[in-house]
Amino acid sequence: MSGIDAVIGAVTAVLAGVGAFFFLVGTLGILRLPDFYCRTHAATKCDTIGAGSILLALAIFNRLHPESLKIIALAALVLLSSPTAGHALARAAFRTGLVPWQRTGAKGGGS
Amino acid sequence: MKKALVIVLLIVAAVPLVAAVAGLPPHGSPSNPTYTHVSAYYLEHGAEEAGAENIVTDMILNYRGFDTNGEVTVIFTSLAAVFGVLLLTGAVARKPAAPEIPVSMVVRFIARLLAPFIAIFAVYVILNGHISPGGGFQGGTVLGALYITVSIVLGRDEARRLLPRGPKPWLQAAGPLTFVGVGLLGLVLTGYYLGFPTTPALAWLRTAMIVVIEIGIGVGGAAVLASVYETMEAD
Repeated sequence: MSGIDAVIGAVTAVLAGVGAFFFLVGTLGILRLPDFYCRTHAATKCDTIGAGSILLALAIFNRLHPESLKIIALAALVLLSSPTAGHALARAAFRTGLVPWQRTGAKGGGS
Repeated sequence: MKKALVIVLLIVAAVPLVAAVAGLPPHGSPSNPTYTHVSAYYLEHGAEEAGAENIVTDMILNYRGFDTNGEVTVIFTSLAAVFGVLLLTGAVARKPAAPEIPVSMVVRFIARLLAPFIAIFAVYVILNGHISPGGGFQGGTVLGALYITVSIVLGRDEARRLLPRGPKPWLQAAGPLTFVGVGLLGLVLTGYYLGFPTTPALAWLRTAMIVVIEIGIGVGGAAVLASVYETMEAD
């Protein structure tokens, strides 16, 4: 039993860590990336990989329990709706004429 | 002159409020009236006495039913106000039609895929409000949001089919109507408007009354949200 416990604990920790890392990176991206499209791209990473892996970690942590099914359904909803929202945002911006950012004038080093 | 008058009015309105706040008992003290009178009673007896396991539902639909009855009427009145402002005065400014952007295939597919699940979730939230967090207001909002999503993604005509002309006014008024209906049932049963029968043998009836009110609030709230959206986006 304890062997299974250890495996479940390790998998949970790794998945939750991955989720937290992507949330951090996504948030940094929202704050630091140069234009709307890049920031939208970063924001959806939070919801898909970030929330997705944390929810998966919680589902595994709960083992074979009805709650796990609910959490997996939640993860599926997030995985479907977040990219769709990102896609719709970027598409609306592009169709209404927002020009994507391009690196202008080499300042050397590319800051 | 007008400015000075506004300032004076604001001060007149603010003084009693500030005085009232100053007279409140110390924040968080366990001897506050909030902790010593009714709330302890509600927590101890609510689940068995009021008809719902969820104490919040007991509170808003049974103990403070009058208040919620008024709230539901306010929601309905807001719809009447929107109609009054936008339809009767004909004040909807006709904006030049924005360039029509076709809805993306991805968005359309995902919306179609998720819509039934959203609908089921809304019904679940409405019907489960007496057991778990949720209820008519929350589920009705989910249902109304579903209508708005359908209207944006699949088109106005597709959405209008969800809210047919015939039963529409009844659906919009469903909240106040069911509330008053259940209230009058209480009047017949107990002699008080919105009175819930208190005998243990009639526990099922208490729960049934609460569920009926939840359904009414849910359907009414959703219909009001949908109608407000429909009226505002109509050109």
